Amino acid sequence: MSAPAVARRVVASAPVVALAGALLLTTLVMVVVGVDPTLAYPALVRGALFDGNLEYTIAAFVPTLGMALAFALPLRAGEFNLGGDGQLALGGVTAAAVALLAPLPPGVAVVLPLVLGAVAGGVVAVVAAPLSTRLGIPAIVSTLLISAPAVSLASYLVRFPLAEPNTGIAQTPPLPEAAHLPALGGSGYLTIGLPLVAVLTALWLYADGRTVLGYEIRATGQNREFARYGGVRVGRVAALALAGGGAFAGLAGALIVLGPPHRFVDGALTAPGYTFTAVAAVLLAGARPVVVPLTVALLTFLQVGGQGMEREAGVPSQLTQIVQGLIIVIVAVLATLRARRAR
Amino acid sequence: MYAAELVGVTKRFGPVLANDGIDLAVARGEVHAVVGENGAGKSTLMSILYGLHRPDAGEVRRDGNRIVLRSPTDAIRHGLGMVHQRFRLFPGLTVAENIVIGAEPVRRGRLDRAAANEAVAALSERYGLRADPSALVGGLPVGVRQRVEILRALYRHAEVLILDEPTAVLTPGETDRLFEVLRTVAATGVSILLVTHKLSEVLAVGDRVTVLRQGRVTGRFTASETDADELVNAMIGRSLTPPAPRRARVPEGEPLLEVRDLTVRDADGVARLSGISFAVRPGEIVGLAGVAGSGQRELVDSVTGLRGAVPGVFLAGTPVLAGRDPRVAYVPEDRHGRATAPGMSVAENVLMGAQRDLASRGGLPRAKVRARARDLVDRFSISAASVDVPIGALSGGNAQKAVLARELTRSSQVVVAEEPTQGVDVGVRERVHDLLRTARDEGAAILLQSSELSELRDLADRILVLYEGRVVAEFPGDATETELGRAMVGATG
Ligand SMILES: Nc1ncnc2c1ncn2[C@@H]1O[C@H](COP(=O)(O)OP(=O)(O)OP(=O)(O)O)[C@@H](O)[C@H]1O
Ligand SMILES: [Mg+2]
Repeated sequence: MSAPAVARRVVASAPVVALAGALLLTTLVMVVVGVDPTLAYPALVRGALFDGNLEYTIAAFVPTLGMALAFALPLRAGEFNLGGDGQLALGGVTAAAVALLAPLPPGVAVVLPLVLGAVAGGVVAVVAAPLSTRLGIPAIVSTLLISAPAVSLASYLVRFPLAEPNTGIAQTPPLPEAAHLPALGGSGYLTIGLPLVAVLTALWLYADGRTVLGYEIRATGQNREFARYGGVRVGRVAALALAGGGAFAGLAGALIVLGPPHRFVDGALTAPGYTFTAVAAVLLAGARPVVVPLTVALLTFLQVGGQGMEREAGVPSQLTQIVQGLIIVIVAVLATLRARRAR
Repeated sequence: MYAAELVGVTKRFGPVLANDGIDLAVARGEVHAVVGENGAGKSTLMSILYGLHRPDAGEVRRDGNRIVLRSPTDAIRHGLGMVHQRFRLFPGLTVAENIVIGAEPVRRGRLDRAAANEAVAALSERYGLRADPSALVGGLPVGVRQRVEILRALYRHAEVLILDEPTAVLTPGETDRLFEVLRTVAATGVSILLVTHKLSEVLAVGDRVTVLRQGRVTGRFTASETDADELVNAMIGRSLTPPAPRRARVPEGEPLLEVRDLTVRDADGVARLSGISFAVRPGEIVGLAGVAGSGQRELVDSVTGLRGAVPGVFLAGTPVLAGRDPRVAYVPEDRHGRATAPGMSVAENVLMGAQRDLASRGGLPRAKVRARARDLVDRFSISAASVDVPIGALSGGNAQKAVLARELTRSSQVVVAEEPTQGVDVGVRERVHDLLRTARDEGAAILLQSSELSELRDLADRILVLYEGRVVAEFPGDATETELGRAMVGATG
């Protein structure tokens, strides 16, 4: 393909069109509600990238990417994991509990909470597998249904057994120093969480495209009967994909808790809406897993920048949620149109 | 004036020129056959007439007027109907619901089920296409699903009916009945376009024949004035070599596949197979005949392990393994539902089953996967732009060749083939038969299920007839079609 042809393809691709469309509509909304876009957008960029905000954007990027993998991995096997919040919260609370209750030698004090947090997330997610194979309840429903009680359980744990005594605030005591994620920068927001998640993403991309397991997961997602016919144990593969997704979510929760402010604060994991942003990013990336880190970066940028916009230009940060919602709608519309136009 | 005309139609898919300036005209009440090699462009042309593809050049006319078809909805509005090579039915809906969908009888704002069932029953009565209106489509055998597709088009008053390889999945009895239907329908003034690879059918039911080759028309014939040889020549540019004369052979050795007193029940406890026993020895092809839904599916699923470790199935003397027994090569009839994942590449489709052999420590090198696929594509002369295109973009016959390539190159001693030549052109059919004979000569035990009796007669050493879940008769390979046909409908003696 020639260079202009490639350029044309990229410009006309779903993510670009969706993003452009969403920004256009958002601009329209701004104009309608009387916000000056020429003030709002620079504020957005500053809020995400400059004035020392970049570090904060990266800190938000890490859990969002983790949650994107939590959704994307099961999706490759044809399973919709919408229970990210529950897996995230239980992963976080598990990590906090381990760090608080077991005095551990340095190193292990960080690794063990991370690992057990991932395990907890995986366990919460994998419950959906037997529900789907035995009872025929699709994962898209069961993961979502399990999520709410899982979030509540985390909330209960942090309010009572793990609560910081005598404060009345729904949070754990600060975690011991040994359990803090090693920082990469001065402020402590930039931790080894970033390289860790980056490496795991690379591993996932490699596994997806170039391993037997990745192939079997994709075959299961593309045509379950074909995979079964080919000798793939589809039930196990789907369960594994769900568990893997849940583990990413649990790990994301653990990373948040072991990072600043180094404690589990009730609601702090689910309130920023990592799960929803992640789902939007994965849908925006379409069937191209390599693009997922990019779309996550983009949406995190919008999300964090939106808060800057709110501070500076007085634009409600809900506007960036609207952008995300619009992106999902436009992606869906484009997918339908493309299916029709492909002839 | 013609009922439907395609004038100078050209259609490209990337580098592939699927249709290259094709002219085709169908008169009112005519049965017009369209034949040609795999990938010749038949389905593409039919899809253009049905509004599924837009031509790059050329036009479509109905009753002499130019029409522009943006979608099948447009086509239906212009009185065009189509039965696809891949069925487009909703498995979760009933037969009647599938037929009336889009034009439902409505009562107080809701689907009038009774009226729908009645209309469908009347329709199937009139054309002799039997189908239970209230049955769920998902549970129906392929043959019945096709009837539903035809009924759907007729329900919408199609005046031009397009059938893309309708007989690929039918038994001879069903095919005969379909042809009666087509003649009846044509007699009412409906024009019929029939795509098929079976030249005997063309000569039996067609009025005129158009031959395509590499996207162009290479011959136009009147059915009564031509013969199979002439058609084959126009299709592939050479004549077929007559099959080698049948050798009387007595296969010996321990059976590679043995079924002993196999009984299979469905979820409701109804017996789908009762007390089946037979054996296939090395170097033997055993044919399996029967009308659709006589227990073939259950038997094949039991033999391949897909039904689990059912008692009574033995491969080389040991019980069948659950899941998919790797000792069995299996060519399924349901090409898009089971045999392939249409969205995955050709390379990844032909990989299935061999992924663990190709892997080193769990890693699956892409270069190896693609090299292996390229080798299979060459050896089986599959025409595909590359091994990276989705297998769903291949023509029907080429996708079938890919399935055969994958299964026949497994080092399995037992081969189960369902309709192995469905949708492949006459030249490829010859090659597939050669491949099966070669496998047999090399000592494979082959169970061949085919709805084409001539195929069974050409290949099988013995033919078992299934009827309502039992083996009701066993014939030598040279049994007459009459004998087989009688046994298939349960007529004993
Ligand atoms: N959607 C598509 N995308 C890309 N290529 C396509 C598509 N549909 C068809 N082709 C290509 O166009 C050519 C003609 O295909 P078509 O399906 O019309 O053949 P056919 O005559 O129906 O063959 P068969 O007898 O095997 O069904 C083939 O080379 C095929 O690979
Ligand atoms: Mg075709």
